[in-house]
Amino acid sequence: MLENHPTISHVVGRAGWYLLTFLVAITINFFLPRLGDANPVDTIMAKVSEGLDATSARAKEEAYLKEFDLVQVDASGKVKRDAQGKPVRTSLGSQFINYLGMCVRGDLGGSILQHPKRVSEIIKTALPWTLALQLPTIVFGWLLGNLLGALAAYKRGVFDTLMYPLALLASAIPAFCFGMLLVYVLGIRLEWFPAVGGYDDGLTPEVSWAFFQSASYYYVLPFLSVFLIVVGGQAIGMRSMCIYELGTDYVKYAKLLGIKEHKILFYMFRNAMLPQLTGLALALGTMVGGALITEMIFSYPGLGMAVLTAIQGNDYPLISGCTLLITVCVLLANFSVDVLVGFLDPRVRAARQAGK
Amino acid sequence: MVPGLWIMTARTFALNLLLLGLATCRPHRSLADDKNSGFPRAETFYLGGRQWGEPSTFNPLGTPGWPISTMNLLYETLLMYNSLTGQMQPLLAESYAVHDDSVEVTLNPAARWNDGKPVSAWDVTFTFELGKKHKSLNIAPIWQYLVAVRAYGEDGREAAQPGLGIQYPRRVVFQLNPEKRNPLVVLDALQAQIIVPRHVIEPLLVERGNDLDEFKKLKFEQGAVSSGPYRLFSSSSEKIAVVRDDGYWGNQAYHGGKRPAARYIVHPLYKSNDAFSVALRQGRLDISTTFVPRIWLKAKKGVRSWLDQEPYFLSSSIPMLLVNHKRAPLMDVHLRRAMAFAINYKDIRELAVSGYSEPLRPGIILPFGLERSFYSEEDAHKYGTWFDPERAKAELRAAGYSSLFGPDGELLETRARDGKRLPTLYVKSPTGWTDWESIVRIAVKSMRAVGIDARERFVDTSSFWNALYEGDFDLIMHTPSTQPSPSKPWSRFEALLTTRDFAPLGQRMYKNIGRFNDPHAPGYLPRIDELLSQIPTLTDDAGRLAAYRELNVLFMQQQPDLPLVYRPDTFYEFSVKHWSNLPSAANPYLPPLIPGDRLGTNMLWAIEPVTH
Repeated sequence: MLENHPTISHVVGRAGWYLLTFLVAITINFFLPRLGDANPVDTIMAKVSEGLDATSARAKEEAYLKEFDLVQVDASGKVKRDAQGKPVRTSLGSQFINYLGMCVRGDLGGSILQHPKRVSEIIKTALPWTLALQLPTIVFGWLLGNLLGALAAYKRGVFDTLMYPLALLASAIPAFCFGMLLVYVLGIRLEWFPAVGGYDDGLTPEVSWAFFQSASYYYVLPFLSVFLIVVGGQAIGMRSMCIYELGTDYVKYAKLLGIKEHKILFYMFRNAMLPQLTGLALALGTMVGGALITEMIFSYPGLGMAVLTAIQGNDYPLISGCTLLITVCVLLANFSVDVLVGFLDPRVRAARQAGK
Repeated sequence: MVPGLWIMTARTFALNLLLLGLATCRPHRSLADDKNSGFPRAETFYLGGRQWGEPSTFNPLGTPGWPISTMNLLYETLLMYNSLTGQMQPLLAESYAVHDDSVEVTLNPAARWNDGKPVSAWDVTFTFELGKKHKSLNIAPIWQYLVAVRAYGEDGREAAQPGLGIQYPRRVVFQLNPEKRNPLVVLDALQAQIIVPRHVIEPLLVERGNDLDEFKKLKFEQGAVSSGPYRLFSSSSEKIAVVRDDGYWGNQAYHGGKRPAARYIVHPLYKSNDAFSVALRQGRLDISTTFVPRIWLKAKKGVRSWLDQEPYFLSSSIPMLLVNHKRAPLMDVHLRRAMAFAINYKDIRELAVSGYSEPLRPGIILPFGLERSFYSEEDAHKYGTWFDPERAKAELRAAGYSSLFGPDGELLETRARDGKRLPTLYVKSPTGWTDWESIVRIAVKSMRAVGIDARERFVDTSSFWNALYEGDFDLIMHTPSTQPSPSKPWSRFEALLTTRDFAPLGQRMYKNIGRFNDPHAPGYLPRIDELLSQIPTLTDDAGRLAAYRELNVLFMQQQPDLPLVYRPDTFYEFSVKHWSNLPSAANPYLPPLIPGDRLGTNMLWAIEPVTH
């Protein structure tokens, strides 16, 4: 039936593949953190066991293990122990089935280290920070970078000679290095901008001019630390794409026909844009992973920090929750690129029409 | 997918809109101060370093991984220990007395919960009884030293239960366990355990069938009944704020009617030590209990420490290498003493910890502060170990060890008397704990220099803890019994030497982690356990001095573990930009504790805002 609807069959076909990828990804996300011999309860016990005697320490450890469903429990609610007196761990298989069930119900579970908080609560507070840091930088950086790149390719001359090495430099600096440099020079030495935090410590987030001002002022350094790098990278990519397009036959032909310059630029831009668009969609998809280094330098309580602390403490549910979110976003971004390219790219469209 | 995520995106979007317009103008400093919803700088005291992430709960019986909920800004202890004078200062209890078979406290008649009800002996008995029922609570271990905690009324009769016509009792008697008489640990508990309101907690517990796990799911974020001078104001992933309770009972009872100077106390949640350092330099933080390297460079920015010169801080704990006595060849006392003679303690002090330590002396009694009265330089000289590579080599020779060095002076291997090659000894430490990493590197380098085949092994933090408690190590970094408390230095000896709860490798031990002095093995030294149980019951100074000297000499002779350096455990750096009169060595009216950490709270009535 679908043979007559190439677009729909294309979308359905892609969707099938993404579903499969998703299943493989969540399986890996579940098992990887649990494969080591470390145990989140050890981390908690280390914090709370000073001064405890053996009995209370054991009772406490059992309480945690039971609470997080890491050990097998007998009918009377007692923790099962093996011959050496070590608690019997719940098998990974049954934990996985449990996890899948929770995923289906939309329940990400409870955090271990931040008990009794739910994982969804933690993500909910961390995500806005990550998005606030990343979304504007990626979008504006992408726009400006592509504009500069296209201009440089088209204009050449002094503009290109200046822009190209600067863009190369910007894209080659590691983000953490640049961020620290900004903090050191503009934040600590010159004290022009605050060095850490998202807004004045004396304020609480609200819709007010004072908060907006403070947040924008605090945003300058983190924004710059990522923005310039994005601009540089995009500009270089766009510049080479445009130079390639400039050499193609259709541009030469259009020039010979005497078509107006801005019109040629528009054609060229449209074609050079495609790979860049794919890049943008992917960047937007991966951005929920958080810009860990930037978050660390500026003490932004975003998702990157949440994942880092979760991994350090083996907080399995939180790791799984965050990686699940990242997986979903990356796959969705990829999927929309696939679908969009199908509509936007005349070549793909043509190929499908031809196959029909 | 998750219903909550959709709500979030809406909020996120709003926040983004807010942030999108990248205004580059610098806001007026005073603007923020004039706002009603903000925290005015002159009335806000910013503290840092106690908390590193958003608190998951404010439940007073909840996870103690989040210390701010147990800070005595909200809930209070019976007494507060002053580590400078050795005295207990009153808080909920106005006085206490140690008897032969009991410890008795009398509550301050003015003590009130913030709902107006008196803090009574029933609240105290209830709090301690919780530990009897729920073995996983931190108060539980005290019950091996107690047989009963009873409330007594004015008439001297026991007042077991609240009932009609009974006044709120104020006297509590902690009946000591005659088998394990130890008033020291009871005093420790009296200054460490916060008292919770029985009239609030008990009904909540009963509603949940006394299920502690269910009870812990309550977060106590709003309207909690507590007795301290502050209440929770707000908490987010960026900061925690508490606001002054102007009706606090202690203002009249202990501070002549004065209120704490700061209306708000705000703890920003920064993500790294560096962020706290920078904030301190910039005057955004007033006090911080984080490690600031090379503090002397920050003095011109108004950052101060307890002392203006080396060692800058008051040390209270001893990071050391624990030795695994169940692994060959570490049960050999000559080898342990050789290690202790080999390590270059001066390098550790100067290079690894920014010089924030007094020079190390033998044994595990601090040769300064209150513990100095138990320290004997004569014993140290006679029995102790210190950095002396020649003596280290002599110890090795005496035990028949020989070391083979390569042509470049690098150690190749160590052989025992029987000619067999000794296994390499690995020194475990958590990866990323940079100060410990440098300490371990120096120790390993010094040991190799005299011919002991040791190597560093930095491991993932969570597997580190597992290795520590289960005894899976040759040598491992650890700081035993850190907090200053009335039981020092006894509790340090106890943490290292007790043979109670002795367990084989693979099972957990939380004290004597190196498994020294196995009571079931030949060569057991019963004298150590005798002294450990005797010292807490001694009341005369001469007797205590003699016992401590003997115990410290045993430690020096046996060298069961390798102390490396002294470190402050409770300490702070402070900024003089916005508040003055904070305690320091020049003005030591309180020990170095940040507000909220026991006695440190009292500085809030003494500090004054700096008028610009």
